[in-house]
Amino acid sequence: MIEAVNLAKHYGPKTAVAGVTFTVKPGQVTGFLGPNGAGKSTTMRMVVGLDRPSAGTVTVNGKHYAEHRDPLHQVGALLDAKAVHTSRSAYNHLLSMAATHNIPASRVNEVIDMTGLAQVAKKKAGGFSLGMGQRLGIAAALLGDPQTLILDEPVNGLDPEGVLWVRNLVKYLAGEGKTVFLSSHLMSEMAQTADHLILIGRGKIIADAPIADILDGGHQTRVRVRTPEASRLAELLGGTGVSIDSSESETLEISGLDARRIAQSALDNRVLVYELTPIMASLEEAYFDLTKDEVEYHSHELSDVASSAPEGR
Amino acid sequence: MSTTTVPSPSHASAAGTHGLSFGGVLRSEWIKFRSLRSTKLLLLFTFVAVVGVGALAAWLRGTIIQSLMTTGSARPEGGVHATTMTLAQAEAAAQAQGINIYGIPNAGLQLGILVLGSLAVLLIASEFGTGMIRSTMTAVPRRLPAFAAKAIVLVVVSYVLTLVAALVTFLISIPILHHYGIDMSFGRDGVVYGIFMGGVYVAGVALIGLSLGTLLRNSAGGIIVLVALFFVLPFGTQLLGLVPGDFWKYVNQYVPSVAGGRMLEVGHKDAFIDPHVGGLLFLAWILVVTIPAVITLKTRDV
Ligand SMILES: Nc1ncnc2c1ncn2[C@@H]1O[C@H](COP(=O)(O)OP(=O)(O)OP(=O)(O)O)[C@@H](O)[C@H]1O
Ligand SMILES: [Mg+2]
Repeated sequence: MIEAVNLAKHYGPKTAVAGVTFTVKPGQVTGFLGPNGAGKSTTMRMVVGLDRPSAGTVTVNGKHYAEHRDPLHQVGALLDAKAVHTSRSAYNHLLSMAATHNIPASRVNEVIDMTGLAQVAKKKAGGFSLGMGQRLGIAAALLGDPQTLILDEPVNGLDPEGVLWVRNLVKYLAGEGKTVFLSSHLMSEMAQTADHLILIGRGKIIADAPIADILDGGHQTRVRVRTPEASRLAELLGGTGVSIDSSESETLEISGLDARRIAQSALDNRVLVYELTPIMASLEEAYFDLTKDEVEYHSHELSDVASSAPEGR
Repeated sequence: MSTTTVPSPSHASAAGTHGLSFGGVLRSEWIKFRSLRSTKLLLLFTFVAVVGVGALAAWLRGTIIQSLMTTGSARPEGGVHATTMTLAQAEAAAQAQGINIYGIPNAGLQLGILVLGSLAVLLIASEFGTGMIRSTMTAVPRRLPAFAAKAIVLVVVSYVLTLVAALVTFLISIPILHHYGIDMSFGRDGVVYGIFMGGVYVAGVALIGLSLGTLLRNSAGGIIVLVALFFVLPFGTQLLGLVPGDFWKYVNQYVPSVAGGRMLEVGHKDAFIDPHVGGLLFLAWILVVTIPAVITLKTRDV
C-alpha cells in the first residue's frame, strides 16, 4: 500500500510534481501513465526516499520508507536510470545489495534464474544491453520478495518474451496480494496489465480509476458504418449531439448515436448498409483525450516543422 | 535469453526475514570493495611501491649519514666542518635537517596517501557517477550507515596496508642500514610509535577522500581537491614562509599534510607544533570535511 498526500517536488523554479494525492492498493496492478516529463519517475523516487518531497508526504505500508527496519522486504524498486556500478558483475551487485538485509546468497541465485540472467551473471554489468540491464534491475527489485513492487518502465528495452514475462509476473504478484505500481509509456501494455490506472500530466493527477471506467468513461462510443449512399445517410442522421466523420469513401464514423438507431434510420429510408460496427474507445484514445491539454513536450507534425523552417535561402 | 515463464513461488523465508542491520551493511560494503578488480590491483601496486620507496630511503639516509661521518657534511665538497663526526653526531646532524632514521618505515607514506585517498574518493564518487548510489540508498535509506560502513572498510584497509608495509619496510631497512653501521631496531626512539601511527595518518586521508567524493559527487573533482589539499597547499604555504614577517613562517605547519606528518614524529622541534598537537589539528581537518559531507549526504537528493 502506497499513500501519497499532497506530494510535491520542485527543482528550483521547475515543478515536477504539483501536490498529488493517491493510493496504490494491494492485490492489483496499478498503472502510472503520463506523457514525458509528467513526473512519474520523480514521484517514484520520492516513494523510496531518493528525492526529498518539497511538500506533502508519502508512506509505504503506513510508514515512511526509511523508517522501516526491512526496507527491501517492504519495497522492491526498479527506477528509470541504471543503478549499478559498471565494473561490477551482476552477481556481486545483487550479492552486495542482499548482504545489507542478510538475504542469503541462494536468493540471489534464485532471482538471477528468474530473470534469465544466469549466463551473464558473472560478467560486468557495464557491458549489458538495455534489456539485460533492465532484467538486472528487476532482479534487484525482487531480491527481498517485497510486499510492494515499484517498477518504472520495466518493459523498456525488453524483447517480446521479456515483456510477456513481466506482464505475467506482476499479475501473479498482485494475485498474491502484493502492491504493484507500474509506470509505462506503452498504453496498450497498460490495457493488458493494469487493473487500475493513475494518469498524471504536468505533475497533476488527471484520472485515478479502474481501467474499465477510464476506457468507457466520458468517451463516446463510435459506430462505423459502410454504405454506398454515405452522404445521404449522413444527411439523414445529422443533428445536435451527433458527429459524423468520413475518412474513406462509403465509410462513416458516427458518434452520438448507437448502432440500433442508425440501423432503424437506414431501414426507414431504404439505405443499404453493409457494415455496422460499434468501436470501443481504445485506452490510447482515452489517454490522448485526457492528456491533450497536459502534454508538456508536443512533438511537431512533420508538416509543421517544414512550414516553420526558414524560407528562402 | 530465456526467462522462467511462471515465476517460481517465493516464500518469505527464501528471501530472509532479518531486515536491515549494520553488520549487513558493513558486509555489503566489503563485498563491493573486494569485487572491483582494479581496486585489488591498485592496492597491490601501492604496497610494493610504498615498501620500495622505504627501502630507497633507507639506502639514501644511510649514505648521507656515512658521508657526514667521513667528511663532516652531507655534501662531500662542502667544507663547513673539517673534522669527522661520530655516528651519534652524524645522526643528530641529519635529524636536524629532517633526515631521521626512525621515520624510514613511513618514508613511502606520501604515495600511500595519494593512492588510498584517491581510492576513497572513487569509492563513493563512482557510485554517483554510475548511478549505483541509488541502489545503495534504496537498500539503506537512512544513508548514514552506508557512509559509516564505507568509512570503516576504508579505515581498516588503509591502516592494515600501511602497517604491514611499514613493518616490511622496517625489516628490509635493517640490513641496508647495518651496511652503514647504523643499528635499526624496535628499541630506537620513535620506531614502534611511527610504525603504528603511519596507518592512522593514511586512514585519516582516506576519510577526507571519502568526504570529498561525497561532497563533490565527482571522481576527477574529488581527486583534484585532494591533491590540492595534500600536495599543492603545503608547497604553497612553504613558499609563504619566504614572505617577510614571522606570521607566514608558521602557516605551513597547520596545513593537513604537515600537521598529519608531524603526528608521526617524536620529540620537540623549535618553532614547530608538538606531535600531539599535529594529531589534533589533523583530526580537526578530518572533521571539517567529514561533517559537511555527512549532512549533504543525508539531505541532498540522490
Ligand atoms: N533532478 C532534476 N533536476 C531538475 N529537473 C528535474 C529533475 N528530475 C526531473 N526533473 C524534471 O521534472 C519533470 C518530471 O520528470 P520525471 O522524470 O519525473 O518525468 P517522467 O514522467 O518520469 O517522464 P518520462 O516519461 O520521460 O520518464 C521533468 O520536467 C524533468 O525535466
Ligand atoms: Mg521517467
